[in-house]
Amino acid sequence: MTERPRERHGASLAGRLSTSRFAKTAVDCGVLSDALKARFGDEIVSLEVREHGGGETDEAQARDLWIEIALEAFRPFVEELFVYDFVNFHVISGDDVEDAVALNYHFSLFQRLRGGRVGVVLTVRVPKNRLSLPSIFDLLPGSEYSERETREMFGVDFVGLPNKALVFLPEDWNEDVKPWRRDAAGPAPEMIRELS
Amino acid sequence: MSATYTIPVGPVHVGLKEPVTAWLELDGERIVDAKVRPGAIHRGIEFMARERNPIQVIYLSERICGICSFSHVLCFIRAIEDLANLSVPIRAQYIRTLLLELERLHSHLLWSGVACYTIGFDSAFHLGMQMRERVMDVLELLSGNRVNYGVATFGGVRWDVTPELVKAARGMIRYYRREFGPFREIVMEDPVAQARMRNVGVLTRDDAVRYSATGPTARASGLRVDIRKSSPYEAYADIPVEPVVPQDYFGAARGDVLDRFAVRVLEVYQSLDILETVLDGLPEGPIVAEPNLNKVLASLKKADGTGWGIIEAPRGDNTHIVRLKGGDDNVSWWKVRAPTYANAVSWPLMFRGNELADAPLIINSIDPCISCMERMMVTDGRNAGVVTKADLLKRCRQKTFDMRANGFEGGAER
Repeated sequence: MTERPRERHGASLAGRLSTSRFAKTAVDCGVLSDALKARFGDEIVSLEVREHGGGETDEAQARDLWIEIALEAFRPFVEELFVYDFVNFHVISGDDVEDAVALNYHFSLFQRLRGGRVGVVLTVRVPKNRLSLPSIFDLLPGSEYSERETREMFGVDFVGLPNKALVFLPEDWNEDVKPWRRDAAGPAPEMIRELS
Repeated sequence: MSATYTIPVGPVHVGLKEPVTAWLELDGERIVDAKVRPGAIHRGIEFMARERNPIQVIYLSERICGICSFSHVLCFIRAIEDLANLSVPIRAQYIRTLLLELERLHSHLLWSGVACYTIGFDSAFHLGMQMRERVMDVLELLSGNRVNYGVATFGGVRWDVTPELVKAARGMIRYYRREFGPFREIVMEDPVAQARMRNVGVLTRDDAVRYSATGPTARASGLRVDIRKSSPYEAYADIPVEPVVPQDYFGAARGDVLDRFAVRVLEVYQSLDILETVLDGLPEGPIVAEPNLNKVLASLKKADGTGWGIIEAPRGDNTHIVRLKGGDDNVSWWKVRAPTYANAVSWPLMFRGNELADAPLIINSIDPCISCMERMMVTDGRNAGVVTKADLLKRCRQKTFDMRANGFEGGAER
């Protein structure tokens, strides 16, 4: 088992959130993935490291960590990332996968060193019979538009999100229709026109 | 008793180039709070992609934005290359980097002009517009288009860099090194311009971190972040890039509109340096891994997985995520996150405590994605007539052919 890297400003979440700074150091992607495996064990459904090279030597200089996590461990996992660095949030992507909506959270860690950044894709499957997920707005207010967009496009409720108003859909939109769903909640064929 | 009242700026406003609404809560002239409501031009592009194969989506992605079209194309292509494990020849990586920096140059020049317009400094605005023509000419010489270049494809690029283009690009670099300094000075050292931009629309460093601000908006608040450094891609793997932050030049980062202006202006010089490095080190070799598009499509039909493309676009990090399902012709789903999507969340923070009259300037200060770029016809008024769309297209093509046949207008030193 790999030793857990040194913690930022104590173990408490409030302590980690109080210092809004990006770490000047980086943790190696392999060390990070081992530490996360040790911390979450069976709650990690799958884990993959992708490396990207470029330039004359084609040496790997960019690394992404793709992790699928059990629903219950979602929020603790995001909080755990703050142990390593203040998390940079990019976006939530996702798809309707039969009995669930699979959401991918895209984060970045360690942006200060050349080639140090680790992209983290955190996938969580939210079952359609209970489309609800804890909001991360209190940790990362930059996630507001993504959570609101995911709510209006997929119908996933974010517990703790203060503003649940529509963000991209028009004011007079029928909110029973969720544009990105592929089941009965999605748009009916007669609602779609001029797709070219 | 103090009463506040609410007024909208937008969706259509003389100071804004694209429709977005900011509901401002005012106490007198002072902005107390703000709510931003986008959505006026949501076109459902991600939904449209589900009806198209990956090669068709290249050209769809190019039409997300007129200014940073290449950033969107490359981000989409890199997401596909990520999931399908496609490699890119080294010469193509350098040509992609060349395009990215030309686009950054164009975007920053255009924005600095528009920012001058927003504060009523119209002569500087026209100077900015005049200067931006030169980089557009270089882009046209390479691709035949001033916007939506159609250059990138899976595993490489479609147009090669010719010796004529290298000559024109070097001439352009000399032109900007000579002409951009005076522009920078008349704006940044102008007391009125300084008064309009200093301490206006401040985003503190802590807030920039917490709200995941990106690109020049984050760097103006003092964050040393740049995907070109933290996750080098394409030729940036060979070319070191350091984030441009105001504290290195002015001692401190205040995160106001003037700092955002300064970061973009300084990045113009950085782009010129990178362009020169790319032109000097342009490697020989093929420009695409597999030129036969049918073979590419057939291999992508078998590909299965999700890919993530992330690059440093002129306005910040651009993120595309694509899913292909094995056996399907079309893209399964596609998520686009343009930099404005991330930076717009910080707008309410920048508004608070500022004056109503500065609202359009604050909105423009993050360089919201301006997706309309039309080709203008200048007429002397005497020979004015009706120009149809077909005529316009013919004249556009003629101009490109003439430029390619006769070389760059006015030679390298216009």
